[in-house]
Amino acid sequence: MELVKGLFKIPSFLFGLALFLGTLGLAFFGPLLWHIDVVSRVGDPYMAPGAGHWLGTDHLGVDMVSMLITGLRASLYVGFLAGVVATVVGTLIGVYGGYKGGLLDDILTVATNLFLVIPTLIVLILLSSSMEKGRSLTLIALIIGCTTWTWSARAVRAQSASLRARDHVALARINGYSTIEIVLEQILPYLLSYVFMVFILQTATAILTEATISMLGLGPYDSISLGKILNDARTNEALIGGKWWAFIPAMVLVTVIAFSLYVINTAMEGVFNPRLRK
Amino acid sequence: MARRPFATAIIALACVAAPLLGCRKHKTPGPASSSGGANPAITTAFPRNETLYVGGRQWGEPSSFNPLAGWQDWPVNDMNLIYETLLMYDPLAGKLVPLLGESYTVTDDSVDVAINAAAKWSDGQPLTADDVKYTFDLGKQFKSLLMSPLWTGGYITDVKLGEPRHVVFVLDSKKKNALPVLDACVEIRIVPKHVIEPMLKAANNNIDDFLKQKFDKDPIGSGPYKLLAYSGEKIVTVRDDNYWGNKVFFGGKLPAPKYVTHPIYKSNENFSVGLMQGNVDVSSSFMPRIQEKKVVKAWYDKEPYFVPTSIPMLWPEILHAPLDDVHLRRAMAFAINYKDIRDLAVSGYSDPLESGLVLPTGLEQKFFSADDAKQYGASRYDLDAAKAELKAGGYTAVFKDGELVETHDKAGKKLPTLYIKSPSGWTDWESIVRIVVKGMRAAGIDVRERFIEANVFWGDLYSGNFDLIMFTPTPQPEPSKPWSRFDYVLNSSEWAPQGEKRYKNMGRFNNPKAPGYVARIDELLDQIPRIKDEAELIKAYRELNVLYMKNQPTIPLVYRPNQFYEFTEQHWKGFPTAANPYLPPQMPGERLGTRILWHLTPVGGS
Amino acid sequence: MLRKNPTLRHVLGRAGWYFVTFLVAVAVNFFLPRLGDANPIDAIMARGGAMDSVSAREKEDAYLREFGLAQTDSNGKVVRSADGKPVKTGLASQFVNYVEMSLSGDLGTSILQYPKPVMDIILDAIPWTICLQLPTIILGWLFGNLLGALAAYKRGVFDRVLYPLALLASAIPAFCVGILLVYGLGIKHQWFPAVGGYDPSTTPELSGAFLSSAAYHYVMPFLSIFLIVVGGQSIGMRSMVIYELGTDYVKYAKLLGMKESKILLYTFRNAMLPQLTGLALAIGAMVGGALITEIIFSYPGLGMAILTAIQGNDYPVITGCTLLLSITVLVANFSVDVLLGLLDPRIRAAQAAEAN
Repeated sequence: MELVKGLFKIPSFLFGLALFLGTLGLAFFGPLLWHIDVVSRVGDPYMAPGAGHWLGTDHLGVDMVSMLITGLRASLYVGFLAGVVATVVGTLIGVYGGYKGGLLDDILTVATNLFLVIPTLIVLILLSSSMEKGRSLTLIALIIGCTTWTWSARAVRAQSASLRARDHVALARINGYSTIEIVLEQILPYLLSYVFMVFILQTATAILTEATISMLGLGPYDSISLGKILNDARTNEALIGGKWWAFIPAMVLVTVIAFSLYVINTAMEGVFNPRLRK
Repeated sequence: MARRPFATAIIALACVAAPLLGCRKHKTPGPASSSGGANPAITTAFPRNETLYVGGRQWGEPSSFNPLAGWQDWPVNDMNLIYETLLMYDPLAGKLVPLLGESYTVTDDSVDVAINAAAKWSDGQPLTADDVKYTFDLGKQFKSLLMSPLWTGGYITDVKLGEPRHVVFVLDSKKKNALPVLDACVEIRIVPKHVIEPMLKAANNNIDDFLKQKFDKDPIGSGPYKLLAYSGEKIVTVRDDNYWGNKVFFGGKLPAPKYVTHPIYKSNENFSVGLMQGNVDVSSSFMPRIQEKKVVKAWYDKEPYFVPTSIPMLWPEILHAPLDDVHLRRAMAFAINYKDIRDLAVSGYSDPLESGLVLPTGLEQKFFSADDAKQYGASRYDLDAAKAELKAGGYTAVFKDGELVETHDKAGKKLPTLYIKSPSGWTDWESIVRIVVKGMRAAGIDVRERFIEANVFWGDLYSGNFDLIMFTPTPQPEPSKPWSRFDYVLNSSEWAPQGEKRYKNMGRFNNPKAPGYVARIDELLDQIPRIKDEAELIKAYRELNVLYMKNQPTIPLVYRPNQFYEFTEQHWKGFPTAANPYLPPQMPGERLGTRILWHLTPVGGS
Repeated sequence: MLRKNPTLRHVLGRAGWYFVTFLVAVAVNFFLPRLGDANPIDAIMARGGAMDSVSAREKEDAYLREFGLAQTDSNGKVVRSADGKPVKTGLASQFVNYVEMSLSGDLGTSILQYPKPVMDIILDAIPWTICLQLPTIILGWLFGNLLGALAAYKRGVFDRVLYPLALLASAIPAFCVGILLVYGLGIKHQWFPAVGGYDPSTTPELSGAFLSSAAYHYVMPFLSIFLIVVGGQSIGMRSMVIYELGTDYVKYAKLLGMKESKILLYTFRNAMLPQLTGLALAIGAMVGGALITEIIFSYPGLGMAILTAIQGNDYPVITGCTLLLSITVLVANFSVDVLLGLLDPRIRAAQAAEAN
């Protein structure tokens, strides 16, 4: 608790948090302040920003602010869903493998490496062409979660392996606690802050991954995401035409979310890892 | 510490060596075997004022220049640069222009083509009627080749050598349809028998093995250019100064560019950048909002910028309810905002849409009747008419908060959501489908977009696995238009049930064995190619078009050129335009557009 | 002998497990693309121009035979079921066939670029990828680590300016940097060519014109990767060095009065070790990482080959490329494992303890 309080005294943490809450606020309260309409044509294609439409329109003459707010919500949704999946899977496998060691650890490492060598993109496309409904936003989030957990597993595994040798864990083992009990009671609590930081990074990674996938034209069929806005801008040559409002705001939003999460993460690292403090 | 600069040097060297390693396989065909002229030296640099850069026809590394393979790459496919067709089609004048064929005569029973006596191959051998016969006969023997549909479709029964230097296509005595033969004359490239025959023999007459031959080592053709080099980044052709046609068609004049090069970019926007920055001179890639790009020009200097030749349309699957109901199909047609499609999805590159399968402009205009379109057509945005059609069919829509929830049929049963399939990543089609869905839902029809992987798309299209699907029938300008477009959309011969592949009328309209069969449609499709009298022809087309509009088996959406034609005059000038239409808007090197090469001049002296 | 040499034993053990991973990866790489319903033949069939049922079926049969996708009878005719669909070859027998061919160095024929062998596609593309990525990653890694170490050591203003910048650089998606470069330097100002690997008026060879044009085209793709690598690496290095500076051995050395530069050298070396992992992983993943850069700059390379293959269900190319990808990633990981074991005394000690 002391540490958490300490967090709120760090300017960089507060800055990151404010930035992140700002984007969250935009996603949640934006629709209350701005009339969201991503269907109707309100003007010419790529109409320049002006009164009424602060960020102009896209290639179909749809209000860009509406698109951005809708896209932001989708990107955050993907980030959280994929972040949760990746963190839960990665942590469980990492903690367990790191604590247990031996053959089980080796097998889990093979599984981890396997996901490392099979690119997310390929899994995504193959699954989506075999699914009748195609690539939905949720499917993309799940696939990102299921393919990016590997590095959190590796990171957590290292931490967990180092805890194994600690006295209190050895004591528990001698006292006959079961593996599950030890993992849950003796190891996980020590890793909680670490796991939370992993979650933050996984969320940021997922948001960047979704943006990248969608930018390549492999985005969700059923929703507008920030990456999809960028892809539309690219394929409709907003870039060449100098229609900055079609891609700069979406880029800024993606970057701001990822940046704020990184800032929060490093600030936390400084607090929870005392050695980084100076 | 002393080692650091060394490491840096190695890395720097690696940077420079990169492209060199990359070009390890840069292919340069060997010296000509028995070519009459001097083999052009493999130049390392191509002077800008001697090189024409064309774009939009090649998107990946070339795999084969085999003139008989269906998957050929740029200078072969649709091009008259290396291999040539018998005739060329002028889509502006509606006339056939001589190339290898000096003249042609069409009778009820045959198409007779006289081969130009001056025609010769790049190795000096004369190009004869025997070469032509050999080329078309290959399609009879090997049924997977491009010319085989002439035989397998039952249009011709024989290809004979007639008078000296004459080839005679003998028409099927029942069909007596010369149109597919004329199409083949402008689409099938003639191959040298003296080269192909021994190669086929060496492959034990196994066509699959033969088709793997790449033809990338100094291939022997009859055209004005030769393959010089290619890699994953570009394909280079060099002028053949001994081309037979220089004297025959141009009084000995040579084509202006010594090299015609196709740089290989991965996307439309890269070709657009190339055009704007003067690295590409002429391209057939899609470029949105051309009016904003000052240096890039098109056929017209205002909307629609390009000459339409095709009609992208929605194909409903007609065998099953509810799309077997013409009321629903017509309601769909009335519910689409065609102006939005034109303005937003295709950058205004289309004339306003008219009902029916005939283009209302150009050569087909004479078959178009505005009165018929007004009376029978449904291709106009009219929500009231859409709702009236829905009412006539007994459909009711359930709206909540202004959003469509579901549609009910006349029995009060909820209709399943209908999906419009379109390949994912085809951005202009994606935009079109979004606009279509928006309009139909507003009218009360429960449809949604479904973008599928391109590879799944083709299988679904041909086997009829869709509710509605986007597709453009026969987009190329051909002598057989508009008959071939009607035939493609309406023909119900060679009927195949859903699940089996069918390469025409994929919505399976007008099943000959079903109760509502309209025999008149197939009759007209059979008769029209034989009609000589123009007044009678116009009458027949009007009747067919009215039948099409009444039945609405497909839903036309917009007009499109077969290929875009964009150019800049930063390095070459003299491209044809609507103001100076000496040739049609086709890529230099492609079909009749090949002749543009003789009319270009370098900018700023040569 | 293995008993006496825990390190060797460890290395062999790891190698064994990596080999198992490799085998599973080969199988997964083969089966994953083929699980879907799509028929790759449909895509090439569509390229062939006008068709009718007879010629289309003939053509389809030829492709099915060529790629071994359908069962054939004793006459070499494709077997079809009652509804006209070809009877697919069993996946298992396709796999056996694939493994046999791969072992003899034949990765099959591309479907989309038929009749080009997969091996040729890979060999054509890979030098570009390596030459763009390898120097960029190594230079970025060196420069990033240097900056990170400096920031950690100096702290103060330098750190306060550099650190947020590096954080920002690593938060910008790779494609954004690329797009901004193309838009800003390539199109608006036209300082650098926006697309391609070299000027089309030159031919790849050892000539001044070509080399300078290749170098000129190299700048923007290089920058787009370099900036991000530097950002990511300097952040990592900074925390590692700060961490090391706080360790007991540094405090002890300081108490002993060891020279500052010597202490720095130690901390730097120890901080470098984990950073090596990052380097190896980045190199291993460079094939996949190249994709974005290659698409945005229309730069030749393997990433583009993979994307095209995936979009066209070009099984043989997908499998060939993923095989290569798997090998590079696994080799990189394995080398890191071994290297760290050899270089880091702490890990060496742990291995020895494990052995007992």
